[in-house]
Amino acid sequence: MSRSHPTNPPESNRMIIPPVDPSREILFTIPSRLEMLAVLDQLVQALVHQADFDEDSVNAIATSIIEAGTNAIQHGHDEKAELPVHFRFRVDAQTFEAWVEDQGPGFDLSTVLSTDPTGPEGLLNSRGRGIYIMRVMMDEVEFDIQSGSGVVVHLLKRRHTNGDAAPGA
Amino acid sequence: MRIKQDVLGKAGVIRLSGQLMGGPDADQVREAIAALVAQGTVQIVIDLNDVSWVNSTGLGVLISSHILVANQGGALKLMRISKRIESIFTVTRLNTVFQVFDDEASALSSCAG
Repeated sequence: MSRSHPTNPPESNRMIIPPVDPSREILFTIPSRLEMLAVLDQLVQALVHQADFDEDSVNAIATSIIEAGTNAIQHGHDEKAELPVHFRFRVDAQTFEAWVEDQGPGFDLSTVLSTDPTGPEGLLNSRGRGIYIMRVMMDEVEFDIQSGSGVVVHLLKRRHTNGDAAPGA
Repeated sequence: MRIKQDVLGKAGVIRLSGQLMGGPDADQVREAIAALVAQGTVQIVIDLNDVSWVNSTGLGVLISSHILVANQGGALKLMRISKRIESIFTVTRLNTVFQVFDDEASALSSCAG
């Protein structure tokens, strides 16, 4: 597993979100309740196992999706159960992709990225690790942040073959 | 999440099962640790053998508890963590903050001194 800092390109606040392709994607919606994350975890693990990703990648993907869901429920929706969190999953021969959407107020990405949670100033902070974990464990992490109306996080993991460098795996 | 609590010699042992995340479960964990500290037990081991995953909020619970215990001259230690949970501690470098033991005997022995 890579233990270095995230190497994927710096995120911007906007991205192009492809239209849903029902023939290739699984859509899943949960209420903003943390206990639903256990169900989400089981679903993601099953999907990625089914696609025959290696065990480290399964753990990295499931952990990252849990973090995206945690952020949506806690920070996006303030644990208001009536606000749904939407997940889209697309798995093909080379990649696993997910889009996680909330309706929250958004956040300042540059502020989040300005503190290293593994450095002396951040190591003992009780918050501020979710995005860092996603960036270390996945190959790509992008955000579409529309202030006041929602956040979409896109996560991508490539299938690694022997000899590849595998972030988080 | 289910929480069981024992005091074995000088060590308080808190056994968790389920998932360690935020919400009411996190409050229960904090309260269990605070109760041990209030009784004067400041060598505390958390058994994660039956915890399937820990999210970043759960890590925050462990960090705030670590600070509480360390401020009383004690230590918060972990035992029996899965490979998945170990990876999140490694990625976040929290493996440099918490002592982790493979088995209960080693963990309790570290608290006996």
